[in-house]
Amino acid sequence: MARDKASENYIAPVRNLLVGVLVLALLGVFAVWRIDSPRVERLRMAVIDRVLPSFDWVMAPVSAAADLIADFQSYQRLAAQNQDLRRELQQMKAWREAALQLEQENAKLLDLNNVRIDPKLTFVTGVVMTDSGSPFRQSVLLNVGARDGIIDGWPTMDGIGLAGRIAGVGRETSRVLLLTDTSSRIPITILPSGQRAILAGDSTQNPLIEFLEDRAVVRPGDRVVSSGDGGVFPADLLVGQVALGTDNRLRVRLAADYQRLEFLRVLRARPHEVINDPGRLLTPMPEVYGPSALNPATLPTAEAAEAADG
Amino acid sequence: MAEVADSATWARRVVFVLLACMIAVAQLVPLNLEPATWAAPDLLLAMTCVWVARRPDYLPVYIVAAVFFMTDLLFQRPPGLWAALVIMLTEAIRTRHRELRNMSFVAEWAFVGLGLVAITLANRIVLAIVMTPQAPFGLTVMQLGGTVAIYPLVALVAYYLFGVSHPAPGDMRKIGQRP
Repeated sequence: MARDKASENYIAPVRNLLVGVLVLALLGVFAVWRIDSPRVERLRMAVIDRVLPSFDWVMAPVSAAADLIADFQSYQRLAAQNQDLRRELQQMKAWREAALQLEQENAKLLDLNNVRIDPKLTFVTGVVMTDSGSPFRQSVLLNVGARDGIIDGWPTMDGIGLAGRIAGVGRETSRVLLLTDTSSRIPITILPSGQRAILAGDSTQNPLIEFLEDRAVVRPGDRVVSSGDGGVFPADLLVGQVALGTDNRLRVRLAADYQRLEFLRVLRARPHEVINDPGRLLTPMPEVYGPSALNPATLPTAEAAEAADG
Repeated sequence: MAEVADSATWARRVVFVLLACMIAVAQLVPLNLEPATWAAPDLLLAMTCVWVARRPDYLPVYIVAAVFFMTDLLFQRPPGLWAALVIMLTEAIRTRHRELRNMSFVAEWAFVGLGLVAITLANRIVLAIVMTPQAPFGLTVMQLGGTVAIYPLVALVAYYLFGVSHPAPGDMRKIGQRP
């Protein structure tokens, strides 16, 4: 490297020392990440938030070109697709009739029972900007972030089924951890048996069903929806169907179309209310007994009781 | 880095950083979001190894560190670990680049290949020790094999397109050493 031996003799050790410090610093970052992951992940999200939107202009034409090619390929199969669609449409018409009847029946029954169903969820729709860039990680980056009110942990869906959940929010971007990622775990319910289980991504197209209590009552084709267990997700979002893998383990065929994730809906899931305070001793309040029970505070309930009677 | 780099060297450094950016962007474009059943070779790593083995002065250690730490962050890898391992590999190659110049290409290929296997194993072992979720083993092996396999191709492209070759004996322009 150097012109004479003398300078090489003192430059090499200094350089080695600096390289050693650099390597140690990087390993230090790794150790800090392992110990205090959320902080470093926030740093990572901030960096991505800064860097990636500026690459948008180069990604847009590339993905547009790829879409063009895919569309062109689909033209070649147009006639066959048309046939398929007609057949499916026939089936769907029958299903639509059934669904309408069921909806009316359901509305009647709900009315009779006075059931409080989960409130309707509103959503923000974002465009998929990039994927994770590595074959080992299944996640995408959306162009909505803290600016749009996105909060960590909210579920995301495509038009049909659950696709993943928000894991990392920047100011203008947010990362969606897809259900297929190896670190994705969500609570599910399998219908109609009502079995609770965990859906665990394993980097294949069909995630595994784990921690199933009774396998005998679950069969391929059963519907899988999210469950509200643990307050991770709102309940009853469609996830997919049970399928039996070639390794004889139960998996889920996802309802979301992972081939064409262009737009994702981020559902505004309200945080679950947690009951923190311990139960207090219930002591009778003196003023609600006796004639003083007819005070204004209790009047509405009396009216409600009358209304129910009448 | 004793000597002051001239403008040609700086041009090559800029070319390397631009290539790294292009590879990163190409990997990030959301073309297929289904989990892959096969893993493409790590082109960036192969390119870095070629450049360091051929022309260590084009690729100082701080550029390697910056590029790989950035890709660690962008590609959702545990930050720092892979960058540190890649620096160790490039330093190992860098200290032996004079011997590599005198060796046949196959020997160079084997040396770099062994290095790639070593850092991939080290990566998995460290991740296993700290109990981090890991990528499927099959995909890792596939990617490692691909990276080793495309090394000659990358070396060829680097030689013909970007003029990255072993300095000829007596090339006094940059290094100024006796052969």
